[in-house]
Amino acid sequence: MKTFEEKWTAWLDGQLSGRELAEFEASLPDKAAAEAEKTGARKLRQLLKDELGVRALKNEEFFSHQLRERVAQQRDEATRTSAGRRMESSTWWTIPRLLWTGTVSIAVFLVCTVLVMHDKSPSEESQYLTQILNARVDPIVSPNATVSIFEVKQDRVTVLWTEGLQSLPADYAAK
Amino acid sequence: MSPYLIPVVALIISATPGLKGAETVWSGLVIAENVAQPQPIPPELTRIEGSLKKFFGYNQFQVIGQSQKTLKTGQEDWLATSKFFGLHVDARGETEAGYVLNLKLYKEKELLLETDTKLSKRSPLVIKGPQVGSGQLLLVLVVQ
Repeated sequence: MKTFEEKWTAWLDGQLSGRELAEFEASLPDKAAAEAEKTGARKLRQLLKDELGVRALKNEEFFSHQLRERVAQQRDEATRTSAGRRMESSTWWTIPRLLWTGTVSIAVFLVCTVLVMHDKSPSEESQYLTQILNARVDPIVSPNATVSIFEVKQDRVTVLWTEGLQSLPADYAAK
Repeated sequence: MSPYLIPVVALIISATPGLKGAETVWSGLVIAENVAQPQPIPPELTRIEGSLKKFFGYNQFQVIGQSQKTLKTGQEDWLATSKFFGLHVDARGETEAGYVLNLKLYKEKELLLETDTKLSKRSPLVIKGPQVGSGQLLLVLVVQ
């Protein structure tokens, strides 16, 4: 057995029909006031429906906004990560620095090559030893004199060795 | 960019032998002797002290005349003299390895010995001269 309030709510919602509707409307003390209240309730329902529709839309928009923010955030993170990778990979080796490094390396290579060739080329060592091209002793002053050439490779000293030169007294050692 | 360029150019220039500056040739008349208490060897002969002692068998080397000449053109000539000896050096050009020199050893005005050499910048030249008393006259040329 429905109470009056349940029947009233069902009536406002338009859910009563047939005999039940006729009995309920007959039990109303002021049907005109009840009809006005029913109309007001409909308007209110429509208003609430509209409002709920707007709120639902706002939620969608909010959700969409959140999604867009999330997507933007992920995009930023991805950008930052790739930029970080680019920064890591190109922190020092810029093109001008590469060029300068190459130039300096070539210069150092040239210096080392020249130094090594200058210092330690055994095949060309003889050209760095002093060479005696010719030697002459006055045949009248020292007729029996001879000359020989020696090379002391350890100290890179070249010696022109003479034999048979006229001996001189100790006085000739004076400064 | 230019601050980076300077050291690179400096390195290349310093490593290029043809661009080196003028060098000095030391020429000396040396009396080698064996004595009880030998004097220290002159600094110009320090680097060849071992060879001198080993080769000539003396324990003292004294400079009786010397000359230092800085070669700029490689065409200079100079004289190292003692009281009785004179060594005339006539530079006749510079090569990559050293200098072409004509050397003449005089005893007073008498020419004892003449030789043409290519004196290397890294290789001293020693010439054994006449016996003088109990010692030996040596002529030494070193590019310093």
